[in-house]
Amino acid sequence: MSELNPRKDLLDIESLDLEEIEYVLENAVPFKQLFQRSVKKVPTLRGKTVLNLFYEPSTRTSSSFEVAANRMSADVTNFTISSSSVVKGESLLDTIETLQAMRSDYIVIRHQAAGVPGIVAKHTGASVINAGDGYHAHPTQALLDAMTIREVYPEYKGRKVVIVGDVLHSRVARSTSTLLNKLGIEVAVLGPGSLIPEGRHEFMTRLRSWDEVFDWKPDAVYLLRVQMERQEGQFFPSIAEYHKMYGMNSQRLVRMRELGAYLMHPGPVNRGVEITDEAMRYERSLISTQVENGIAVRMAVLHWLKPETDKD
Amino acid sequence: MGEVSRLFKNGRIATAESSELREADVLVDVAGIITAIGTGLSTPEGAEVIDCAGCLLVPGMFDVHVHSREPGDEHKETLATCAAAALHGGVTGVVLMPDTSPPVDSGNLVKSAMDLVSEVSPIPMFQSGCLTKGRQGSELAGFSGMASRGVPMLTDADRTVSCPDLMRRCMEYARDFDLLVTSHTDTPALSKAGVVNEGRVSYRFGLPGIPAISQEIAIDRDILVAAHTGARLHLQQLSTARGLESVRRAKEAGTKVTCEVSPHHLVLSELDIKDYNTHFKFNPPLRSVEDNGALVQGLIDGSIDLIACDHAPHTEFEKSSDFGSAPFGAAGLETTVLVLHDRFIRAGVFGWDLLIQRYSDAPRKLIGQKPVAISEGTEAEFFVFDPAAETTITRDYLRTKSPVSPFIGETLAGAIRGTTLGAAWYPHEA
Repeated sequence: MSELNPRKDLLDIESLDLEEIEYVLENAVPFKQLFQRSVKKVPTLRGKTVLNLFYEPSTRTSSSFEVAANRMSADVTNFTISSSSVVKGESLLDTIETLQAMRSDYIVIRHQAAGVPGIVAKHTGASVINAGDGYHAHPTQALLDAMTIREVYPEYKGRKVVIVGDVLHSRVARSTSTLLNKLGIEVAVLGPGSLIPEGRHEFMTRLRSWDEVFDWKPDAVYLLRVQMERQEGQFFPSIAEYHKMYGMNSQRLVRMRELGAYLMHPGPVNRGVEITDEAMRYERSLISTQVENGIAVRMAVLHWLKPETDKD
Repeated sequence: MGEVSRLFKNGRIATAESSELREADVLVDVAGIITAIGTGLSTPEGAEVIDCAGCLLVPGMFDVHVHSREPGDEHKETLATCAAAALHGGVTGVVLMPDTSPPVDSGNLVKSAMDLVSEVSPIPMFQSGCLTKGRQGSELAGFSGMASRGVPMLTDADRTVSCPDLMRRCMEYARDFDLLVTSHTDTPALSKAGVVNEGRVSYRFGLPGIPAISQEIAIDRDILVAAHTGARLHLQQLSTARGLESVRRAKEAGTKVTCEVSPHHLVLSELDIKDYNTHFKFNPPLRSVEDNGALVQGLIDGSIDLIACDHAPHTEFEKSSDFGSAPFGAAGLETTVLVLHDRFIRAGVFGWDLLIQRYSDAPRKLIGQKPVAISEGTEAEFFVFDPAAETTITRDYLRTKSPVSPFIGETLAGAIRGTTLGAAWYPHEA
């Protein structure tokens, strides 16, 4: 593989070019093969430190980054700040100064406000990896999704993926749809009109019912998590109605089987809301593969980024 | 300063009436009165000569939408720095918004604000008052007391009176005092936690949006209430083409409504927001390029009565927060003339006459003040503008305390050489 221009941070998918995407996705493959071995560690980041800074609770993403960093032999510090304990007085800049003093080489950050990882990146020599900021971006999720699709469809160009649910408030939908489009995969969306940002996005086809979805013949159906905590504005009448209209249930599973379509979900799953127990056992579910690929992709990202910590 | 007569030599005088510029010398006596205008005026004994060759003499601008931050938020701006910024930008009079701390919602507070102004400000500053007590949107503020202190308008400044019944009572009550009711035109139930225009840009940034209908519904509501009550209504900061259409229809129907537009809504759109730069965070938000075009057209055809900059100083630190948390607004008094000259006058979109009509005459008329012109027998109130020079907007250039502006770093065509107000001359440093 040819040499890439060095990149310090991973903040979003938009700014990545195809070469960089290929580089990460291809490097993730040997990292994943490592997981079959008894010794799952490589010494690549020995002596380097990774700071996991989570302003929003997320056991899954933060553990995934922790496992990835451990398997690269880095030293990991986890730092979870519940948003309620962030006093107004401590500004972001003050926090960044504190982080600087910790001299981490990599900062993995999740924050409820869009754009915060970018601000942190500007003020530190450490490589900043966006682990989700507001509704904005979740680039490693998009990369692991792409890796997962490419595993089951080595001929992935021209394939079709439908994203189902709260597209409006989903950083996963933003990043994953952007990345899939870059890879030549077609993306459509299904969900209530109040949660589909129609007219605000260039390349999403909107489908209005599961019948339309199955007529469209998707190769994968990507269910988004219903963010129940974000429903304060009431975007649909009830969870029961959402489940009835948009949930993956046994009848829809029959159509999935007929098509041979795969099922994806970023986790954690709300059983009985966007998906039934039965659908969770679908033989073409890729949900646990996504989790596994998440670690491999995050290792590849840590391997790829070049901190400028010596310049501090 | 003062105590000396001044001869502004070889300048060209701009007027509201015509785009023609008249070449003339202007003599201002020790009392600050223009005593002679003509070519080849001789220099009186002891007079200071200001060489205005190649420059324009432009009547002082007047801004009806200024947040001075004093009292209460002097770390952002003070009356003194606000006045200095105004003079530096060619603005010789302002209306102060009442959203200080405490908010100006009674006759006594208007008096104390005006007392402070008379102590520290070299320019006329008119203190407006609140529509509702404490800007809380629940009870009428002390209208009669504020009216007796001569408030130029009532407004809850950046907050809309969201209850239509209360807005109706504000207008009914204000009508008896012939007070101007000024509305921020926002529908809080729609704008909610929004921080940018709702659309492709808000989606891409993952930021909560403020839909255009948030302002358009408020404009329609307030116009209808004004028509119903017969009160005089002024709408602040139009930002969308559809809102402008509503104003046009209301004017045709004879409703007593006026409106303003801010320079940033004329020259910037949501597409100019790059990299979560909070200097571009405004309320109402920057809208689409199509809206920019419609607003410029409205300004030219007179549907938009006047320009007001919404001078809203904040510290750099406050603006260094994430886009969602940073406060709305930026400093504007020192960039408005320069930006509008750079983008429109220089490009031939409109002339100095239109800028003077919309940013000098109309704002004064709105609050019952006489327009100023450069004419014999009147007090001197103009600035000297060099169209051939250029100005780079930097922190050092600005006299406001707030180095927050979307135009920071830009080099604009034209330069203000100084402003004269009465007997005082405030030259820019070379």
